[in-house]
Amino acid sequence: MLRLDPDTGKQKWYRSDASKSVLSAIISIIIGMAVGTLIIVIVGLTKDGISLKGMWEGIRLVFLGVFSTGRSEGNLTFGFNPVNMGNMLFRATPLIMTGLSVAVAFKTGLFNIGAAGQYLMGTMGTLTVGHVLGNTDCPIVIAWLAAFLAGVVLGGLWGAIPGIFKAFLNINEVITCIMTNWIAANLVTWWFDAHDIFKNAAEGGKVGYIIPLKNVGVVTPKMGMDVLFPGSQANGGFWIACIIAVVMYIMMTKTTFGYELRACGSNRHAAKYAGINDKRNIILSMVISGSLAAAGASLYYLAGNTEFFWSTYLSLPAEGFNGIPVALLASNNPIAVVFSGVLMSMLNIAGTQLKSLTAYNEYIADIIIAIIVYLSAFSMFIKQFINNREKKKGGNK
Amino acid sequence: MASEYVIEMNHIRKEFPGIVANDDITLQLKKGEIHALLGENGAGKSTLMSVLFGLYQPEAGTIKKDGVEVEINNPNDATALGIGMVHQHFKLIDVFSVLDNIILGAETVGKLGFLKKKEARKKVLELSEKYGLKVDIDAKVEDITVGMQQRVEILKMLYRDNDILIFDEPTAVLTPQEIDELMEIMRGFAREGKSILFITHKLNEIMAVSDRVTVLRKGKCIGTVNTKDTNKQELSNMMVGRPVQLEIKKDEAKPENVILKVEGLTVPSKIHKNDAVKGISFDVRKGEIVCIAGIDGNGQTELIYGLTGLEKASAGKVTLCGHDISHASIRKRSEAGMSHIPEDRHKHGLVLAYTLEQNLVLQKYKEPQFQKHGFIRFDEVRKYADKLIEEYDVRSGQGPVTVARSMSGGNQQKAIIARELDREEPLIVAVQPTRGLDVGAIEHIHKQLIAERDKGKAVLLVSLELDEVMGLSDRILVLYEGEIVGELNPKETDVQELGLYMSGAKRQERGAEEC
Repeated sequence: MLRLDPDTGKQKWYRSDASKSVLSAIISIIIGMAVGTLIIVIVGLTKDGISLKGMWEGIRLVFLGVFSTGRSEGNLTFGFNPVNMGNMLFRATPLIMTGLSVAVAFKTGLFNIGAAGQYLMGTMGTLTVGHVLGNTDCPIVIAWLAAFLAGVVLGGLWGAIPGIFKAFLNINEVITCIMTNWIAANLVTWWFDAHDIFKNAAEGGKVGYIIPLKNVGVVTPKMGMDVLFPGSQANGGFWIACIIAVVMYIMMTKTTFGYELRACGSNRHAAKYAGINDKRNIILSMVISGSLAAAGASLYYLAGNTEFFWSTYLSLPAEGFNGIPVALLASNNPIAVVFSGVLMSMLNIAGTQLKSLTAYNEYIADIIIAIIVYLSAFSMFIKQFINNREKKKGGNK
Repeated sequence: MASEYVIEMNHIRKEFPGIVANDDITLQLKKGEIHALLGENGAGKSTLMSVLFGLYQPEAGTIKKDGVEVEINNPNDATALGIGMVHQHFKLIDVFSVLDNIILGAETVGKLGFLKKKEARKKVLELSEKYGLKVDIDAKVEDITVGMQQRVEILKMLYRDNDILIFDEPTAVLTPQEIDELMEIMRGFAREGKSILFITHKLNEIMAVSDRVTVLRKGKCIGTVNTKDTNKQELSNMMVGRPVQLEIKKDEAKPENVILKVEGLTVPSKIHKNDAVKGISFDVRKGEIVCIAGIDGNGQTELIYGLTGLEKASAGKVTLCGHDISHASIRKRSEAGMSHIPEDRHKHGLVLAYTLEQNLVLQKYKEPQFQKHGFIRFDEVRKYADKLIEEYDVRSGQGPVTVARSMSGGNQQKAIIARELDREEPLIVAVQPTRGLDVGAIEHIHKQLIAERDKGKAVLLVSLELDEVMGLSDRILVLYEGEIVGELNPKETDVQELGLYMSGAKRQERGAEEC
């Protein structure tokens, strides 16, 4: 089988593993969308009161939800909707960060299912420091940086715990991650329960929430997002997430540090044999992974108008777990995580549009996401399928 | 004419994606003969046997039993036809007793579903008596020696009344004495009228025991010859496809100053409470090959772990080129002048998910040649990898960007050897450097190690292969139960004497002969 281009001696780009990963992700997405369409049709046919036109509207919204501009004269209108677009990027931000967290851990051979706990610790650190410094004369820039770093550091430390257990006692990180998730959930609840100064008592209906950071002025700058997408919640946090993704990509693939981390991840014994400190690297990759998840929380709450329901001891934040499908769909490539994070939040927006503009509810979007995630777990299988087709073609020559 | 051959495999063809593992292979097994199947790694021996044992379905070709065409779709079909196989890696359940392992899958059951172990026990004891297969029938498999485990596997076949016995590389794990016993057992089977297929790439054994030999090379059948009409040289030429130098040729060693000095090294065992290495002392000089010989499991692995830093030694002093490295980290030891060809190339030697070029800089990636401010210099890595691949003839599908996992075992080993020898450290620790490799590759590696010695390196070799021990080393240290029981000169000893030391039957008192 001809794998290398005879002229250049290099692999053809469309034969490379990376492009096959992209292709298999796209196939997953297409199948997911197709199933979503099918469900809309089935629901439309079995439920009274949904006309053919209604079904067609549902389908169009699933695909073009972010471009929806509402209705005029009874028909759906589409176009550039800055609010939807902006919100899509805004909601993508924490997903990208937790996706990066999971992806980086995966690349180093660890399964970080503790992103939820690290996310909560990040929330706690950022909100606490943000409020404390926001109420002093401290310049906003310093307060913002301190709040962001507090979250990141706390999340990193939280990630270090499973790392330490793994490195020194060889305890599977999945178990310790699940435990630290719930410890975090209770710790955060206790912390905010014990400190009334953070609680939002002023507004009715906001009992149980923490005062949003915009009240103390510690808010991420818009960095042009308000010009691009006026009226939306989008802010500079998205750009920061993109920059972090690029940094992670460079760190993992271009540096000796990334080389060490990945060597430890794929074969701890060989790394040790080569003189790499395997224990240190396992802990470090969990610290990095934890910091990334926590940074997602920091960026989300530093948006200013986001509100944190502090009584979390019975539930973990969904962002922590949604990082896993985001990373899976991206084949753990940090750059691809940005795109898969945006895709997930685009479907989310499509769901809200479905709910507000048609007789369908937003759960259809959840079904589509579930199917895409499910299929992306099969991405190996799909890649294999592509490989086999290639071989068959090669055989016919 | 139907009955001359008990098994005929005619024109077998088996393909795997991208490779033809068996291409038009014909193998005919006579009743009561020992038929050896010889070939290098990847020649298709195991595939062919898996076809016979029903693990693979061939794309073309037929299998006949006693002249009647049969279809073997799974191992149960094979068993029903009387075909049994001792796999290279034993298929035993460690926590079961020997008896339970033997009857597993062929249990005789009473009315209420209870096992009839008494009958089974009687039959196993009879078989063990009859063929001289000594086993401890009530011991757990995890507690018995590898040799006895193999006898359990053989008893499994006999218990199922198989009369076509396939042995897949059975001698790889045995001591010389155990190998002799196995040969005797195999001859006994042949006299009984059982037919034996014997897969190996060791020529001595073929000459000793087989009646006929079929040679495979790169999936093709090269030919079948009568053992008495051929010799080792001819067989190895058939197997490799070019003339091979079987005898290891080397000049007299000219040992100089001591490079590695080990004093009282003690390494605890991971398996039992006692020390695996019990305070041993030796040294290796510049320009000589010192070989640690011994039966597997007598402390070789732990000795090397303690020496290279993979495990912590509990006592003793290791001096390398004048530096005390007893408590140094692995990287420090490596920088002090030690290169290490590890025993387990998949566990320690390679990061299988990495590409060949990434593996070739496994210790060197931090050197200024390959990084700048923490960023890897990919062009330099590529240049270096290309150089090593060229120099050491490492073959792979896509050159430097081949993923190590997809390379053949021999080429993986070549890559490790290239990496370690090119580091030009004064001490080379080579642990079973030729394990599982074929004649051609072994010849190549032996030549390289001798060349390194002649360049003035100190070589510490650990080997289980007696031919290698005798041929390659300048001094032999025999390790038995964690102690050095003898220091021998390969020119003044023979395999028999070495075997006695290895099995603990003989030992020298090593007094104060320190230098």
